[in-house]
Amino acid sequence: MRFLAVVLRHTCRNMLLTWKSQCMTLFTVSLSVLIFSFFYLIYSNALHIGEELDDDLRLVVYLDEEPAPPLQEEYRRKILKFDQVDHIEFIGREQAYQRFEQQLGENTDVLTGVPTDFLPASIEVYPVRTLDSLSRIKRFSDYLQTLPGVIKVQYGKEWIERFYAFIQLMQVIILLSGSLLIMTTTFVVAHTIRLTLFSRQQELELLRLVGATNNYIRTPFLLEGAFQGFIGASCGMGALLLLFNWITLQFAGPATITLLPFAFFHWTVVLSIIGIATLLCAAGSFSAIRRFLHL
Amino acid sequence: MNPETSPPSAMIDLIKVSKVYPPDVQAISDISLTVSRGEIVFLTGKSGAGKTTLLRLISRMEKPTKGMVDVAGFDVSKLLQRDIHLLRRKVGMAYQDFKLLPERTVADNIAIAMEVVYRSRPFIEKRTRELLEQLDLSKKYHTRAGELSRGEQQRVSIARAAANGPEIILADEPTGNLDAETTSRVMDLFMQLNRKGTTLVIATHDRSLFQDTPHRVIELRCGRVRSAQTEEQEDGKEMSNDTLACFQEDDRCDF
Repeated sequence: MRFLAVVLRHTCRNMLLTWKSQCMTLFTVSLSVLIFSFFYLIYSNALHIGEELDDDLRLVVYLDEEPAPPLQEEYRRKILKFDQVDHIEFIGREQAYQRFEQQLGENTDVLTGVPTDFLPASIEVYPVRTLDSLSRIKRFSDYLQTLPGVIKVQYGKEWIERFYAFIQLMQVIILLSGSLLIMTTTFVVAHTIRLTLFSRQQELELLRLVGATNNYIRTPFLLEGAFQGFIGASCGMGALLLLFNWITLQFAGPATITLLPFAFFHWTVVLSIIGIATLLCAAGSFSAIRRFLHL
Repeated sequence: MNPETSPPSAMIDLIKVSKVYPPDVQAISDISLTVSRGEIVFLTGKSGAGKTTLLRLISRMEKPTKGMVDVAGFDVSKLLQRDIHLLRRKVGMAYQDFKLLPERTVADNIAIAMEVVYRSRPFIEKRTRELLEQLDLSKKYHTRAGELSRGEQQRVSIARAAANGPEIILADEPTGNLDAETTSRVMDLFMQLNRKGTTLVIATHDRSLFQDTPHRVIELRCGRVRSAQTEEQEDGKEMSNDTLACFQEDDRCDF
């Protein structure tokens, strides 16, 4: 207990004595965490939006003529054999007309004189609720196209492809910003600790001479790295929260963002990011101690 | 743990110890020496005679090239790096170059020795004030060590060595920058510690420190023991064969 109190006091004193380089390190760590968590926030919300939109996702298979019950069974069997399909629904010509009529609302008069069977019969295919299904939809759609009597398969192809490309881009950005986070936290902290070690060489030598244990000498540096990670990551997450609130305020009202389920991280994610940054900085500190502190 | 290799009465035991600095500077040559628990020993000799090297060997700042150094039950030459603190906590050393942290206060410089053994803050403060009082430095408690005179710095170094009441105090030229009155204060502190059982090894040029002393005086010359003046010898008893052999060495340094 006394050991912990003494090394904590040493750590705080050291950090105050080198407050300029500490500030630089904290700023770098904060910025790295902010960049990483910003993109991760967008990515996680995009995934969430993708899940929400998945609820409405369906493939519409247009048929050249309304299938008789035995043929419907045949279609059902062939389509449902895929794991990615949740359920299917047959829409007859009459039903399609009624739906269209409902969608037109007050403008139904445009349908005056139009035969009720002018729309083609179709099968609505509802895939299971996983984002992964989006990437397979194209292949599935190609398969559906090969079924007999199918005129066309429609699924909002362009939108899905763009969304999937966006998700892939976000994954790349997250990987890059994650790498940046690892590099900055590890290398910048290691560099700061190395400078501190060099500047305090005289004191370290004296500590050894008056009987300090290796742990007594090393632990404050390790704690310093961990504190830099913890404080830097907390500042980064705080800045992200401010940015998030500012953006939601700016776009408040009848804008798209309010319609989308855009939310901040769950507190467990916030704690995880802070924890990982703390560990990375402690690791950076540990590597500097191993390389430059010769006891 | 290190096995206790010395007899209980021997606090410092050197057997045929040599120290060669690269490339081939012979600092200490075949020195054998035993200092008993609670004894006061003065090491004297010209500059370069090997006094500081001997103290550095005892405090394990250096490893001997040859021979065995046994201090407070630790075989110093075999002491593992991770266990050095166990020895250093038993040995207080006042360095010739003081080894103070110039940006830190006098109190901080003394406290550092007590902090590493986890003394409580009130104890550290009380002990620091007590030592500064004894060494006439009370007013310098909050002064930065870098702002002190050399004599004052020397006393701070001595205070730090004495802070934990160690079993052994090694003092390298402890009165080199001090006037007679302050020298007397320093020696009083040493004697007070000795009365409590501390073994003292004092390396000094200052003949006044050991002129009329009843304690053992060892003269080093060119890394060898030149003479040993003990109470017994003053009483007319014969010197040991080892000491006699040392007397027969050529006066001129051959390195």
